[in-house]
Amino acid sequence: MTQRTTVGQDDQPLLDVTDLQIELVTAGGVVRAVDGVSFTVRHGETVTLIGESGSGKSTTAMGVLRLLPEGLAVLSGSVRIAGRDVLADPDAARAVRGRTVSLIPQDPMTALSPVHTVGRQLGDAIRLRHPELTRAQVRDKGVELLGRVRITKPETRWKAYPHQFSGGMLQRILIAIALAGEPDLLVADEPTSALDATVQAGVLDLLMELQERTGIGMLMITHDLGVARLVSDRIHVMKDGRFVESGPAEQIVARPAAPYTRDLLAAVPRLGAWDEDEPLVEGAAS
Amino acid sequence: MPTYLARRLGQSLLTVFLTLTTVFLLVRLAPGDPAAAYAPPSASSADLARIRAEFGLDDPLFTQYGIFLRDLFTGNLGTSYSFHAPAFDVVMDRMPYTVTLAVAALAVTTLVAVPLGVWMARRADTKRELGANVMTIAGQSMPDFWTGVMLLTVFAVLFPVLPASGFTTWSGLVLPTLTVAVLQLALVSRLVRREMVSALTSPYVTVARSRGVSEHALTWRYALGNSAVPLVTALGTRFAALLNGVVVVEVVFGWPGVGSLVVRALETRDYPLIQATVLVTATLAILVQLLVDLAYPLLDPRVRLGKAA
Repeated sequence: MTQRTTVGQDDQPLLDVTDLQIELVTAGGVVRAVDGVSFTVRHGETVTLIGESGSGKSTTAMGVLRLLPEGLAVLSGSVRIAGRDVLADPDAARAVRGRTVSLIPQDPMTALSPVHTVGRQLGDAIRLRHPELTRAQVRDKGVELLGRVRITKPETRWKAYPHQFSGGMLQRILIAIALAGEPDLLVADEPTSALDATVQAGVLDLLMELQERTGIGMLMITHDLGVARLVSDRIHVMKDGRFVESGPAEQIVARPAAPYTRDLLAAVPRLGAWDEDEPLVEGAAS
Repeated sequence: MPTYLARRLGQSLLTVFLTLTTVFLLVRLAPGDPAAAYAPPSASSADLARIRAEFGLDDPLFTQYGIFLRDLFTGNLGTSYSFHAPAFDVVMDRMPYTVTLAVAALAVTTLVAVPLGVWMARRADTKRELGANVMTIAGQSMPDFWTGVMLLTVFAVLFPVLPASGFTTWSGLVLPTLTVAVLQLALVSRLVRREMVSALTSPYVTVARSRGVSEHALTWRYALGNSAVPLVTALGTRFAALLNGVVVVEVVFGWPGVGSLVVRALETRDYPLIQATVLVTATLAILVQLLVDLAYPLLDPRVRLGKAA
C-alpha cells in the first residue's frame, strides 16, 4: 500500500458504502442518525448528499472517515475506501486518512489549531505523505500548494497563524492541506456554508478546477441545492437518515420525484429579476 | 508593551501597598500585646509599659501608620522584636528555604500532574480513569499534617532512609516536597484533564485526525499546545501560593522557611516581622503573576499578534 494507488479508474469505486447505519448515543437516548444508506463515488466524480440539518448527511461523511467519537457512535454495514473496509478495521481507517482520502471541514474558522502556524499544520500533512523531504523541501512544496489554492504571496504566509486569515482564505488553506496528502477522494463537509456568498463561489470554483486537473473523486455534503446543482454528477437527497431520492444531478433538479426534493428546490433563491408573483413556499428546508 | 508594563507595575505597587496597610491595621486590631510576648514572665506592668513606649505602641494608630510609611519609603521595615535584627533581613534569611521547597514541589507536581491529566483525558470516563481520579482526590482530601506525619512515620521512623526534619542535606527536601505535591496533584491533574478533554474534542483535532496526524501528535502537540495558557495560569497561581510558605508542612518537618517564621511572628506579636513577611511574600506573588501574564503572548499567538493579518 505504499505506492500511489490508482484505484477507481477500473471497476472498483473509490468509496463504496453499503447499507451504512449509524446510531449515536445522545443524552436523550440512542438515535439512529443514518438508517441504511448505500452509494459509491468513483474517480473524477462528484457525488452529493443533500438534506437539511439533522438529516444525517454530515454524520454519514464523518462516519465514512471514522471520525465520530469512539463509544458514542455505533456503525454497521460496510464502508470500503479504495477497497479497504474501514468499518471492520480501524487500522485501515487510520491508514487511508490523509493519504487516500482527505476531509474539507465545515467551519474553517475552527478547523485549524490556533496556536500553530499554517505552515506547521500544512507541513505536517506533507510530511505524512513524504517523510523523506527536508524542512526546506516541505516548505517549498507547501508554498506551492498555497499558490495552487490562490493564496497570494504564499511564501510570506507560511509563518502566519490561522487568526490572521479570513474564513475564505482559511478554507483555501484547508483545501491545500487536504490536497497535501495527494488523496484520490475528498470528503467536503459543507465546505462553503460558513462562508460569505461571494466567497462561496470562489471556493467551489477552486474545488471544481482541482477536480478537473487531478481527477479526484469527491463526496460533497451540502444543504444548498444551488451548490449541489453546480458541482454534482449524482445527487442523493437525504431525510431522516435515509435517501428519499437518488439520481443524476440534472434529473434531480429538472424532474424531482419526491415531494421533499421539490421543497428543497423551491427554497433555492434564483438569480435574475424578482419574481414577485410567486408565493413563498412554506416548510421549505434551509 | 512598555505602557502595558508600566501600568502593570503601577497596579502591582498599589496592590502591595494596600495589602501592607490592611495587615498593619489587622495585627493591631487583633488581641494580644507584643510587650507581654517580648518581656520575661516576671516583668512588672511598669516594665511592660516601658517596652510598649519603646516600640512606639502607645502612639495613636494614625501616628504609628505615619511612622511605618515614612520608614517604608526609606527602606526600613523596623527591627524584629524577637530576633533583635532588621525584620527584612530575618525574612530574607528564610526565603531561600521557602523558594527551594516551592520550586521542588511545583516541579514534582508538574512532572506528575501533566502526564497524569493527559492520561486521564485520553481515557475520559472509563473505569481506569475513575481509579486515577479516586487516588488524586484521596491525595487532595488528606490534610497535609496527616500526609506529612504518615510519610515521616514510614520513611524516617519505620524505614529510616530519609531525614525527618530540617534541611541539612538534599535528601531532607524529599518528604516535605512530596507532602506538598500530593496536595497539589489532584487540582492540577484535573485541570489538565478538563482542558485536554475539551481540546481533544475540538474541530481542529478532528480535522487534523482526518489528515492522518498521529494520536501522539494530536495529544501532545495539538491538544496540549492549546491547553498551555490555562495550565500555566494554574501553575503560576499554585507557585505564588507556595511562595507564601506552607505553614503546616514547614512546622511538621522543621523546615526553616517563611511559613514557620510567620507562625512564630504571630505568636510573639512581632509586628515588624509580620509586616516584612507580608511585604516580601506579596511582592513575590505579584511578581510570579506578572511573569505568567508576560508568558501569555509566548503561548498564544492571538495575544501576541492581535487580529490584523
